[in-house]
Amino acid sequence: MDNGVAENSSPTRPKWRKVAYGGMQPGFDDNHTDESFLEDIVMNANVVKRDMLKVMQDSVSISEYLCIVALVGLVWTYTLRSTLDETSLLYLDVSLLGSGFLLLLLTEEMLSVNLLLHYLLNVFFFTTGLYVLAPIYQTLTRSISSDSIWAVTVPLLMLHLFLHDYSGSTVRAPGALNNPTLTSCISLNASIVASVFIASRLPSSIHVFAIMLFSLQVFLFAPLITYCIKKYSFRLHLCFAFSLMAMTLAFVYTLHRLLFVLLLGLLVFVTVVCPYWLIRLQEYKFEINGPWDEAKLCFAVTD
Amino acid sequence: MGEPKRHRILMVSDFFYPNFGGVENHIYYLSQCLLKLGHKVVVMTHAYGNRSGVRYMTGGLKVYYVPWKPFLMQNTLPTFYGTLPIIRTILIREKISLVHGHQAFSTLCHEALMHSRTMGCRVVFTDHSLYGFGDVGSIHMNKVLQFTLADVSQAICVSHTSKENTVLRSGLPPEKVFVISNAVDTAMFKPALERPSDNEIVIVVISRLVYRKGADLLVEVIPEVCRLYPNVRFIVGGDGPKRVRLEQMREKHSLQDRVEMLGAVPHARVRSVLISGHIFLNSSLTEAFCIAILEAASCGLLTVSTRVGGVPEVLPDDMVVLAEPDPSDMVLAINKAISILPTIDPQVMHDRMKKLYNWHDVAKRTEIVYDRALKCSNQSLLERLSRYLSCGAWAGKLFCLVVVIDFLLFRLLQLWQPAEDIEVVPDILLSQGEDKRDADKLRVFNGDQCLK
Repeated sequence: MDNGVAENSSPTRPKWRKVAYGGMQPGFDDNHTDESFLEDIVMNANVVKRDMLKVMQDSVSISEYLCIVALVGLVWTYTLRSTLDETSLLYLDVSLLGSGFLLLLLTEEMLSVNLLLHYLLNVFFFTTGLYVLAPIYQTLTRSISSDSIWAVTVPLLMLHLFLHDYSGSTVRAPGALNNPTLTSCISLNASIVASVFIASRLPSSIHVFAIMLFSLQVFLFAPLITYCIKKYSFRLHLCFAFSLMAMTLAFVYTLHRLLFVLLLGLLVFVTVVCPYWLIRLQEYKFEINGPWDEAKLCFAVTD
Repeated sequence: MGEPKRHRILMVSDFFYPNFGGVENHIYYLSQCLLKLGHKVVVMTHAYGNRSGVRYMTGGLKVYYVPWKPFLMQNTLPTFYGTLPIIRTILIREKISLVHGHQAFSTLCHEALMHSRTMGCRVVFTDHSLYGFGDVGSIHMNKVLQFTLADVSQAICVSHTSKENTVLRSGLPPEKVFVISNAVDTAMFKPALERPSDNEIVIVVISRLVYRKGADLLVEVIPEVCRLYPNVRFIVGGDGPKRVRLEQMREKHSLQDRVEMLGAVPHARVRSVLISGHIFLNSSLTEAFCIAILEAASCGLLTVSTRVGGVPEVLPDDMVVLAEPDPSDMVLAINKAISILPTIDPQVMHDRMKKLYNWHDVAKRTEIVYDRALKCSNQSLLERLSRYLSCGAWAGKLFCLVVVIDFLLFRLLQLWQPAEDIEVVPDILLSQGEDKRDADKLRVFNGDQCLK
């Protein structure tokens, strides 16, 4: 009674059919495994074949964002050491805001006056709000020691980097936040909390206002700016990213040797090692699809 | 092969009466038919509310409602070794020779199968559902299944698609997996004596209104069908999270007089709902084997269903119209069903179903599986461990550890509560012509024996 080989008294026994009705099929055992077993299986149907150069180019946006966050950390360090005073910070803020708007104007093909006015109005409200709230931030953590502040800020920044939505800068349309995921909200909140903690260490409320404006500008608008640049021209994006990386590395070098080495190592890891690793791991991908899969609805379910 | 052996079978699952469902009905009907064939069947499940302890059902079917409360979706809390004492006691007391576990989703089943193998009992497993491979829950479930099936004697699946799915998920050799389909109680699902009138076509839907059963497809299909065919009426039975969407659809298209929502239909009333219709619509997105379709066909309804999972294998092509799980395709299928409806005779369909599906046939085929299982050699612990080791680089060693600890605990129990001290239940066969008074006396006698 083995599968496939059955002693049949009649020369023609009925063909085995893939049906469940009619009880046991005559001439075949219930554990008969036909040649058509697993013939409908589809393997690795949705797997994307990746190219090393393309993956490396895509990883540039991640290293670009890492450098931006490193620059913010740098400005914080210099401000806390009183190397940067409030007037230079305010100049920095204004110049960042101005250059951001310039980039937006240059790279956006269809920017209507309405949208620009909308952006300007939002920025104005935002700045005014920050100015009014600055005294609150200044006294927020007066009773907490600096060590605790550092101990909280660094993990918060790491959380922000881990959970940040790096694909947002490639897909999102300007001004429209289509379905922010939970992790991107958490990362944004983490970065804002870290900025507030750092700002609360500063002596005067102008300081606080300036540093808060700087941090929030960068964390809120940097993804948008990088998206616009990338959309406009890929080469411009690559140039911008590389110049940013060079600038960051130069500044960190002047600050601290060890941090420079760490940052360099991290950038190399993200840009070179990770793409290679990803492509190596792709060989192990084993995706199975077949008639047993749950059917996917072809229309969106709107509740 | 000699005279038929009498087996002593323990059916284990988290899902049994008083719950109603595919697995529950399967276990009940299979047990009843095996009892009629002369075997001894005992069922073990967890306590349902106040229903705890030993109960007897029709035909002398003894059910152990072990006093463990369900903690998630009718499953008992998985404590690995917590069920070892009670399972050992049941196996010794009832002199069980074979343990038959049902449903991969049941934690009690997995634990019982592991303990039975530790005690040297033969084990058969039946899988009733299809699972995916990609999401976290499925990956975990498949690994647990791989553990359980690494050492099983034989496995049973309810359809050929389910066999492919189980073999892929667990890595079992296909020769070990038998395909024995479910069946339907055709005596209970008889067509109406008078066919409902033909001037109005009634389409019946009875299912849980959840995503998995395609309630969203219904929301798209029903308004379209009502628009195209003014003489079609829908009866929707069942309840669930998607009921709200169906009610909204009803309001939006003003179909209150054409779509009747019955709410949850108790199992005893399913037949009366079915015989009031002409066509049965099943829109599930995944089904290993759809018993609802069998019930509908047994009542003489023409079935329209989505072509998913094991559904294409269930009914012959002239009793079912299949469609892709897409609203427009389903509307076309309903159109075809309406056009072939005059050629359908419910009584003829019912008689065909009686020949095609039969629980006694299922029991006989299961008996063959049991005979095969008992012929398997009883392996020692070391040989079993080598089977578990092959499950994976890390998982294999973890599984071996679990099994070794189970073995040690079993030995400890043997010292602490020796098998000789456990009273064995005498074999009492309740024959068909038994007086009810005698049956009650026997029940009390058995009950006294088991109370310790």
